Amino acid sequence: MGCGVTKTSEFNRKFDKDGNVIPAAITMKAAVLIQRWYRQYAARMEVRRRYTWNIFQSMEYADLQDQIKLYNFLGYLMDNFTPPSSERNLISHIFRENEVCRDAEWERYFSYTNIDVPDIYSGPRLTFPLDMDQAADLVEAFKKKQQLHSRYVLQLLLETWKLLKVLPNINRVSTCHSKEITICGDLHGQLEDLLLIFYKNGMPSLEKPYVFNGDYVDRGKDSIEILLILFAFLLVFPGDVYLNRGNHEDHIINLRYGFTKEVLNKYKLHGKRILKLLQKIFSWLPLVTVIDQRVLIVHGGISDTTNLALIARVDRHRYVSALRPPKKKTPSRTNVYADSERYDEMIICKNRRGSLTFPKPFGARESFQRRSLQDFSRAVARTLEEEFEVRRRQGEFSLSSFSKSHRILSSAVSSDSEPESSEFTDTSNEEWKQILDLLWSDPMSHDGCIPNEVRGGGCYWGPDVTEGFLNRHNLQLIIRSHECKQDGYEFCHNRKVLTLFSASNYYEVGSNRGAFVRLGPDLVPYFVQYQATSMTRGLSFPQNVKRTEHTALKVLREQLFVHKSDLLSAFQEIDKENTGLICLNEWASAIERVLHLDLPWRVLHPQLVSSTTDGRLDYHGWFRDLALKKPSSEHIEQTMLETLYRHRSTLETIFRIVDTDNSGLITFEDFRQTLKLLSAYLKMEISDEVINKLVISTDTNNDGSIDIDEFMEAFRLVDKSRLERGKSLLKLMQDNQETESPQPVYSTAPQTSQCPASQPADPPASNTTDSACSQTANPPALQTADSPGSLAEDCPASQTEDLCHISVVVPPQ
Amino acid sequence: MAPKKVEPKKPEPKKPEPKKEEAPAPAPVPETPKEPELDLKSVPLEFTADQIEEFRDAFTLFDETPTGEMKIRYAQCGDVMRALGHNPTNADVLTVLGKPKTEDMNTKYLDFETFLPMLQHISRTKDQGTFEDFVEGLRVFDKEGNGTVMGAELRHVLATLGEKMTEDEVDRLMAGQEDANGCINYTSFIKHILSG
Repeated sequence: MGCGVTKTSEFNRKFDKDGNVIPAAITMKAAVLIQRWYRQYAARMEVRRRYTWNIFQSMEYADLQDQIKLYNFLGYLMDNFTPPSSERNLISHIFRENEVCRDAEWERYFSYTNIDVPDIYSGPRLTFPLDMDQAADLVEAFKKKQQLHSRYVLQLLLETWKLLKVLPNINRVSTCHSKEITICGDLHGQLEDLLLIFYKNGMPSLEKPYVFNGDYVDRGKDSIEILLILFAFLLVFPGDVYLNRGNHEDHIINLRYGFTKEVLNKYKLHGKRILKLLQKIFSWLPLVTVIDQRVLIVHGGISDTTNLALIARVDRHRYVSALRPPKKKTPSRTNVYADSERYDEMIICKNRRGSLTFPKPFGARESFQRRSLQDFSRAVARTLEEEFEVRRRQGEFSLSSFSKSHRILSSAVSSDSEPESSEFTDTSNEEWKQILDLLWSDPMSHDGCIPNEVRGGGCYWGPDVTEGFLNRHNLQLIIRSHECKQDGYEFCHNRKVLTLFSASNYYEVGSNRGAFVRLGPDLVPYFVQYQATSMTRGLSFPQNVKRTEHTALKVLREQLFVHKSDLLSAFQEIDKENTGLICLNEWASAIERVLHLDLPWRVLHPQLVSSTTDGRLDYHGWFRDLALKKPSSEHIEQTMLETLYRHRSTLETIFRIVDTDNSGLITFEDFRQTLKLLSAYLKMEISDEVINKLVISTDTNNDGSIDIDEFMEAFRLVDKSRLERGKSLLKLMQDNQETESPQPVYSTAPQTSQCPASQPADPPASNTTDSACSQTANPPALQTADSPGSLAEDCPASQTEDLCHISVVVPPQ
Repeated sequence: MAPKKVEPKKPEPKKPEPKKEEAPAPAPVPETPKEPELDLKSVPLEFTADQIEEFRDAFTLFDETPTGEMKIRYAQCGDVMRALGHNPTNADVLTVLGKPKTEDMNTKYLDFETFLPMLQHISRTKDQGTFEDFVEGLRVFDKEGNGTVMGAELRHVLATLGEKMTEDEVDRLMAGQEDANGCINYTSFIKHILSG
């Protein structure tokens, strides 16, 4: 009968409470009913799991867009100064070249010999040359949350630097006889995952060679510890540990994604030097690894022009950062108007969707990559129209405010700028492109090779490019990382390309597994998957899904909130009679247009919209639900708030860029100029007087300079969810200990989760207590401290839950 | 890829009973001439445009084709329907799919246009099994009439009767539901399933 076979046997007879036999048919019916309800439950769970993953992925890519915006802002800075203008000092100060010292001088700068290690220090005391036991001790120490003393850090890094300098660009490894090589992907500062890998697979040794495929740092909270462990093993087993460079091994990227912050926090005295040394080390990391001349291991990927012979020849250390192409040795007279010609070829991106499967062509690849910061300083003359095209493509700024400032400056620019040449030869440009392609590219499913405008560097390459590349170089497989995969690894291009990702729970606890792969002489990959957090073991699958979903939706609501003005205009355009209502379909399409996130909005709407009348949504009410609990001060415009909140990671990065010596302090003048440029760029209109007052009032400790806390405090970008997380994690741990039953505890593990649209995942450095508020003499500051009752933990994500508190304290006009 | 055209067959009865074994395809003669044939082409679509958009979103979520071709495997069809709030049995799903072979379930694909009439047909199934039926179903196993069922018994039943569940599925369903004595309070169990 039916799909399942029923045996009407004695075994299956049921009895009711009076001992009467229940007819088999009823039992059957009951079973089928339960089964079908279960299947519906499972399907619903699956939907939630899928859209949660989609949300995180699209947010991550949206966050990458932010990086591009930052880049554009820096470009704007370069474009809009004039020789006589006062901002020039700031610009040249930020972008000055300081690489003129020779190595010998650098070694003095990095000297550790006069750093004393106090007796009270209980961490590892390294002696060089390192041996296996010391490396293992280092791992143990970090497991116990100890911190390596800066003296040993510097010493270890110096030794690493020396070693890396003699390594080739291409590591060549072979699997002799029984040696299996273990390959790991992105770790992103998640020490737990590295420890888990070592636990499952053993630590690196002569019998156990490892290849690490880049992205060791940023986002996670133990980036420096991971580096130190990997470098230690590299020093002990230089023939059996291979490190590739990833796109995050780049000091400018680190400014934004948390590594710089982590180091400066952990090493307050010597952090600057450590970072500087790391900057060099990163540039000396090898670019790719080849196993048995058959398997290529590279962090990002390839392009249609990737040429290993060329890669082998480059001076890789000249390519310090993705945002800083190399300075050439001899200038050449290239056409200064090359830039403007290029722009003529650009295609305007309409309707950009976040979907990676159909990336839109962005324009000549060289245009992005050649648009270096040095380039800008040559003040290329462009027509206004071309500028509009560039800006419109990036799509965020008000054209009117831009053109106003541009008009004022452009005449000055064209008259004063000298037609100096750009400092590239074609060779160095070619090499630059090759390296960017290796570190930043992503595979795509259809043929061809197009620029990767989502990431802002490298390209998307198709299966035909893989074929061609493998044939040309006589290889059989490409192993790369760079993209998070739900199961830790994923094949594509007909199993010729393998993506390997080793940071589990990357977006959120329970979001994905990590994996590593072993290759023996047969070069057949053997995968091991894992998930690092002990939290996940206590939670069932549905609980996992719920938690991850909760975070994803929260982050999504935040995004909706910060785009309120644009959304409101979009809604009002649809709702011409101003009824305040729109139907769900229109709501969904408007959101798609504004946010450019390729998500199933209609499936998501029950989670994002609390109620509708007759299938129509009261959008003003909806915005109120999304918004802060407390109304913002009347002095602050909604638009400005949103803009600042949206750009808050960018703001922090800007601070770190302005702070060129990583001292943690910037001068008043730098700050003032930054604010001026920022306000013009972000279409915020703040007068000079206001800015001046803001600058002075920002220096709350009156030491004559601005530190990062004061800087962020000036914009009052407090993220309450960060505070919440600390408490929620505690609750989660308590709950797990107390009961077995599923508790809907919605929290995110602090510092290991990464909500891409929110702040960099790091211990909150900024001090956001009430006491700081009161010092700035301003209109009544908003409450930043939370009242305990409002930490929404036990109820399903309600729309009234606070996202954050933002206040911008603007001195009275 | 559209599924094979459904040969005239008896459609599933409007009760949540397990069906009689269908005649093997293609059987030109319907088993019970009284029942109407299941001809998907003649199913009129009564969904509104808004609803269809919503279905499209859900369908896309399950689309795993690398180029986003808006196709799902046969094996996913049931899940998409359930995600959209319906409650077909596996047999129901197989029927609308045209009784595909087991190996077809993971190799054949269904596009959105073909899916819609299937969904429409399923949505018409009057007796979807109400909440009360569900409770009644569980009560059958409540030997002592005290609101609890034996976890072990339920596991056994679900894995051996009806549309058998796999051990994994049963584990997932019962995770955290059994108390120290291995009993399940089925009111909370029901809430667990319904709250999803």
